[in-house]
Amino acid sequence: MVNVQNVTFSYNRRTELLSNLSLKLEAGRIHGLLGKNGEGKSTLLKLISGLDFPKAGSIDTLGFNPIKRNPAMLQEIFFLPEELPQLTLSIENYEKVYAPFYPKFSSDQFNGYLKEFDIDNKKSMLNKLSHGQKKKVFIAFGLATNTKLLLMDEPTNGLDIPSKGQFRRMVASAIDENRCLIISTHQVHDLDSLIDSITVMEKHEIVFNQPIEEITKKLFFRVADRNDKDETVIYSEDTLRGLYQVCENKTGEESKLDIELLFNAILTEKNKIVKLF
Amino acid sequence: MNTTLDINRLSLLLRRFFIENKQRELTFWGIATVVFTLMHLAGPQEKSISVEMFLYISGFIFAARTFKIFNYTPGGMHYLLIPATHFEKLTTAILLSTFYYFVMILISYSLGTILGTTIGNFFFESNNPILFSLFSSHADIYSNSHSLLNKFMFFAEIQSVFMLGSIYFKGNAIGKTWLTITAVGIIIAIIQVSLMKILWNGMHFAETFNYQAGYLAGSSIKAKVFVYLLIPFFWTVSYFRLKEKQV
Repeated sequence: MVNVQNVTFSYNRRTELLSNLSLKLEAGRIHGLLGKNGEGKSTLLKLISGLDFPKAGSIDTLGFNPIKRNPAMLQEIFFLPEELPQLTLSIENYEKVYAPFYPKFSSDQFNGYLKEFDIDNKKSMLNKLSHGQKKKVFIAFGLATNTKLLLMDEPTNGLDIPSKGQFRRMVASAIDENRCLIISTHQVHDLDSLIDSITVMEKHEIVFNQPIEEITKKLFFRVADRNDKDETVIYSEDTLRGLYQVCENKTGEESKLDIELLFNAILTEKNKIVKLF
Repeated sequence: MNTTLDINRLSLLLRRFFIENKQRELTFWGIATVVFTLMHLAGPQEKSISVEMFLYISGFIFAARTFKIFNYTPGGMHYLLIPATHFEKLTTAILLSTFYYFVMILISYSLGTILGTTIGNFFFESNNPILFSLFSSHADIYSNSHSLLNKFMFFAEIQSVFMLGSIYFKGNAIGKTWLTITAVGIIIAIIQVSLMKILWNGMHFAETFNYQAGYLAGSSIKAKVFVYLLIPFFWTVSYFRLKEKQV
């Protein structure tokens, strides 16, 4: 679905933002793109959608070269940016104007998602809505486009706590084997139990890209006693509730993935973790 | 799928403009009609110069705002991701900034003229005829015929330059385009004067100007063709600029 090969990108000649980056993303999955601020997550999404052009390397998005911004590709992509455009339109008119550009758009689904987000009045003007409300409208619209590729940059920023849960439910129900969702975020807790593939960016490179089932097969997540010494421990975080640990999974026992713990483990013990995959 | 020009997508882009800017457009053309009405209240004196100035000035302001959406990154992202080709997006911009704007000026001018003259006649108990001076030809130094078509072509020229400016410059497109036009004009004038000096060895500036005016008058068709060819040239440059636009 998305194939990024040896891509290098920079906004100016002095500093490279992405360096020789390669990545392959499959359909039917929700990919979590994680990384610290300024690592190039949003830039990668822009490159995939054709908003920025790579300085070197190639990108294949849905079988197209994204820099050509072919309408056949664009009608199969919906990009939810972190900062939303200022549009002086009502929700109703927004749908009227933009839905016809997406052949698989479903008005029923859009209304259903809006209802789930408690947005009843479609006559409300987008520019008069709060950031969170506006984000809900765009999320609902994006999901209702039924595009093959959905790119979401920090989608949960600005959403209140109940809305985050609603967002997770909606996304989980909207994704099928033909659709691919890439969520870029640093709020990893919001994506718990939603994403099924994790990609971590560090120092402008992809340092980790694995599906959840592979991660839980190779790694074991547990809360251990402070006196518990175990040689399989790769990374440990001391908290009030005990030691949160990422261990090598030698027994094949299943554990619940802790994305934040995994992310911190990758950043501090990158070599040890990468060696296991 | 047609990846160059699809009429359905083009009409969707046009519809997008009218729905998004309905309020602004109604207000502006309402004000324009009122201005033209007030102009014609006093009587049937020659107004075409004022109307033309209104057309050109308000027109280039409109054209310079064509790609204003790129001043704000999320807006630019939103625009570039609309599933339509660059050609369709540019065609929409040309249709709106050049043809639509000109037609709307003609409509509001006609309405204003009829309303202004009729109201003026009623209140001042006069009997002035309704004259559409903008549509009539008047003398011109190059062609002796400043027809409506000539006015349109001059307008299209201005619009194409400012539309290019709006996509080329990020922020304050009007000011930057004016500065560029001035700078290019000065450079061309310096080159011309220098060439004249070299070729005719010290010809006086005034003579050079007279020669140029005479030359243009003598070959007005060639000059017009050259000037008119600049319109598609600026459109083409705008197209490539839009195609390579990154946000």
